[in-house]
Amino acid sequence: MTEALTAYGFLAPSLLLLGTFVFVPLAGAAALSLQRTNGFGDGVWVGFDNYVRLFGDPVFWRATLNTVLFTLVVTPGSMALGLGAAVLLNSVLPARGLFRSVLVLPMAVSGVATALVGVLVFDENSGFANSVLRALGLPAVSWQSGGTAAFVTVVLVTLWWRTGFNMLIYLAGLQGINRELLEAATLDGAGPWQRFRHVVVPMLGPSSFFLVVMNVVYSFQVFDIVFVLTGGGPRNATTVLVTYAYDNGFVVRDQGYAATIGVFLLVVSLAFTWLRWRSSRTRDLVG
Amino acid sequence: MPLSRRQLLTAAGAATAPLALAACGGFSTSGREEGSDASGTITFTTWGTDAELTGLRAAITSFQQANSGVTVRLNAVPYDQMFTTIDAQLQAGQAPDVFRVPYYTFGSYAGRGQLLDLSAHLEGGFSDRFTPQAWAAVQNGGKPYGVPHHTDTSVVLYNVDLLEAAGVTDVPTRIEDAWTWQEFEAVAKRLRQNLPDDKWPFAYNWQGNGVTRWLSWLFEADGRFLADDLTTPAIDSDAGRAAVEFTQGFFRDGLVPPNSSVKSSTLAADLWYSGTTAMNFGGAFLVPDATSTADFEWGVTFPPRNARSAGDFGGNALVATKGAKDPALVARFLTHVTEKQQMEEFCAGASLLPTRADLVEQGIEFAVRPELSPVFVAQAGAVLPRDSGQVASPSMSAIITVLKDQLEEAFVGDQDAATTVRNLADGIGAATKQ
Repeated sequence: MTEALTAYGFLAPSLLLLGTFVFVPLAGAAALSLQRTNGFGDGVWVGFDNYVRLFGDPVFWRATLNTVLFTLVVTPGSMALGLGAAVLLNSVLPARGLFRSVLVLPMAVSGVATALVGVLVFDENSGFANSVLRALGLPAVSWQSGGTAAFVTVVLVTLWWRTGFNMLIYLAGLQGINRELLEAATLDGAGPWQRFRHVVVPMLGPSSFFLVVMNVVYSFQVFDIVFVLTGGGPRNATTVLVTYAYDNGFVVRDQGYAATIGVFLLVVSLAFTWLRWRSSRTRDLVG
Repeated sequence: MPLSRRQLLTAAGAATAPLALAACGGFSTSGREEGSDASGTITFTTWGTDAELTGLRAAITSFQQANSGVTVRLNAVPYDQMFTTIDAQLQAGQAPDVFRVPYYTFGSYAGRGQLLDLSAHLEGGFSDRFTPQAWAAVQNGGKPYGVPHHTDTSVVLYNVDLLEAAGVTDVPTRIEDAWTWQEFEAVAKRLRQNLPDDKWPFAYNWQGNGVTRWLSWLFEADGRFLADDLTTPAIDSDAGRAAVEFTQGFFRDGLVPPNSSVKSSTLAADLWYSGTTAMNFGGAFLVPDATSTADFEWGVTFPPRNARSAGDFGGNALVATKGAKDPALVARFLTHVTEKQQMEEFCAGASLLPTRADLVEQGIEFAVRPELSPVFVAQAGAVLPRDSGQVASPSMSAIITVLKDQLEEAFVGDQDAATTVRNLADGIGAATKQ
């Protein structure tokens, strides 16, 4: 009994913080998602009307598709680039300290500032990207008015922003690999690629696992880059769930519907967490 | 949406504007306020450029001098934070007594019972000081819920060299001589032939919430988007189809940059400053920026007309919240800041247009490029009360989203005009029912 009380005593600060800043707002959002709102005053309880509306809303499905596609491209993309950079910078590359700093630097810059740099690069009239293409005699790309090209700009700017973080985690992982393992593999006749594929990559498992989780969570929450770089356009080609929720909550002032999108995101995140938990147990068993 | 030049200036202004402008005080005030002895505090939240904040502080100083014991506490915030902050404060019952609001957002507050009905607190005949279109923009259900502090409307700013190079030398100088839609299109097409592929004849300032400026084309075709009851959609009309079809042609014929549609993050003014476009639709507030930024000779002319001249009723109102501590004192403050001298100082300094009928009649001289003022003032006179009254609809926030979605489909997706106005009518109908 005393032991249990002590345990709750230790848990209390965290529970209080989580309760105040996570559970109460979550319950509030869930309640709001069951109401029709017009910006001010109390909403009207409408049951699951907002959910019915959500599932019949083509922009919501477009935003969901864009978010999933963004996640599927950015997660492996930023991890692969991060791993490549980490391997390079873990070797005896000259000025590697400088290169590491250059790659990590975007992490220190806010998402809005990163996106503003993206605007300078991908402005289709006077941006750097099209100037380079024109100088090479290639046709300019409709980075802002073409749906696919606009989506590509969001992915490229995000990759630039995220690669440094992925590299940092992989670099830490690489430096934790026991040299003797690589030496043993070399003595067994493994070439560089085989050492990388069969020793380094498996040993980086925990880092990769952590990065998958972080990248997926980040990708589902992407907002600032899209908001500043494309505003969700053209024709909703880059609208993602959070920008759509923002538009509904703060532009249209329909907080009930915005909360419904938020609850959907929560459910997706919970599902992913459950999958992560499952795979985590399996990993423990295998390990 | 990138931080626009104006928003950056706003943020900078909030941080660097001088705290007090005692030297600018000493304005004469109305007889009623002269020497009055009151007490109390008014809280006032606004955003503003340096020049706007300077003008507001001067008006506050003169109000405080005329009302000893009264303090007006000005809270200048960046534009980006303005309305999320106000909304949260209103929800929490901690709103300021007075805040500044664009006309197209005014209805969202007035129509949802968040503002103070000023009818009982304003002196008789108060409305007579304003132009009818300005007074119409602060009405809800036939009652005033704010005062029209200033307006602004779009005209055509043009690059003299680029127009001359295309042989366009005869630019209208009187509103009666404004280009018709067809003449404007001909000018734009002539520019198209003369400009290289990476430059365009013009860009229109309908990006973001500026999408309400598209309505000028509808009004020029003598159309409406809401019927007199301000709830029934009225856009599914010949005028609606004509406006969509004409503006859609800008993209189809390569008259505007493809990335200047309503959802673009590139602002029309920035395209013009960089020399990417020859003409730009923009308001008077751009004049100081254009003077310091554009490294080419430029002038202004009237926007094209069709069935009539028309324009967007831009600008901002000052409103009192329903929980204002001292409604009578707040009404006196709103009366004071719309006195002739206060409004003239504010508008001249910040390159904005007055809403007072006497100032419109007399004309105003901007501190920067004063010779351009008559064009803006005359163009503002082309806005009719029935146009500005529609934009005061309580459903405007939702209507803006409908306009953005459907016009984007028409401009970028090439959705035909008939479908576009039908969808607009459906969307506007749903928005006014919310």
